[in-house]
Amino acid sequence: MIKELNPLLHSQLRLAIISILVSVEEADFVFLREKTGATAGNLSIQIEKLSAAGYIEVIKGYSGKRPRTVCRITADGRQAFEEYVQGLKELINLEL
Amino acid sequence: MENKILSQDESLELITRMIQETRKGFEKGGGNIFLLWGYLCLGVSLLVYFLFHYTSNYSVLWLWFLIPVLGYPFMYLIKRRDRKRIVTFIDSVICKIWIVIGFCTLLICLTILYDYSLLPILFLISLLVTSGVAMSGLIMKFKPVIISGFIGIFICFCFLFVPWVYQTLVFSAMAIIMLIIPGHILNLSVKAEQHD
Repeated sequence: MIKELNPLLHSQLRLAIISILVSVEEADFVFLREKTGATAGNLSIQIEKLSAAGYIEVIKGYSGKRPRTVCRITADGRQAFEEYVQGLKELINLEL
Repeated sequence: MENKILSQDESLELITRMIQETRKGFEKGGGNIFLLWGYLCLGVSLLVYFLFHYTSNYSVLWLWFLIPVLGYPFMYLIKRRDRKRIVTFIDSVICKIWIVIGFCTLLICLTILYDYSLLPILFLISLLVTSGVAMSGLIMKFKPVIISGFIGIFICFCFLFVPWVYQTLVFSAMAIIMLIIPGHILNLSVKAEQHD
């Protein structure tokens, strides 16, 4: 049976965030904004959604006097991503 | 980038592109830690050599402790200033290797406080550090660091055959080969990458 793709990850910006975080230990907000090209406001909202789902961990701190937000993927987030990729593969195989 | 729903192909393309983005080269200031320890080791070893040469006073050997005493606070400051925007798994592995090397070096230093003749200090510390440099180079897949690390490992064995007064000069040469040169090459390669 083909699994349905996780709707939380099946959105361009959220998938981009998770794809970056799955391949690093941690990334800060500025890096995510640069790589995704998203606006700060939109990125904040999507990070909040992923964090609320327990897919990422958000650590707010300071770098010198500047505030700095760092994001890390959680075990649940990694599993959700792996299931999402597996689902994609199954869908593509079905189309072929 | 927006919140639009993607097709399967778009999803795969996006995942691939984002993962590739995190694998691009080294970050700015990557060689600064090498340069800090390199110039510190060079400066202190030359200072010890010349002071001992002119005074023949064994208490100048205490100056070796300037390396950790100055090195660790400066390293903390540099790390705070050049804080990385991403921490990759490679960064994490290299960091853990240096924590172990730092710990072993500290234990060796404490041992000499008890009895300085117990261990071939410069040989052991240099072997640890050059091994760390070689391992870091292999993990980073950065040839200049790999080469200097392995040259350093070979030079380490000179400590066993050279009179101790000249060992400080061998240590100076090692600081240049295993830390200063790769540090500058690392920073230059980051600059070249940013120009591209």
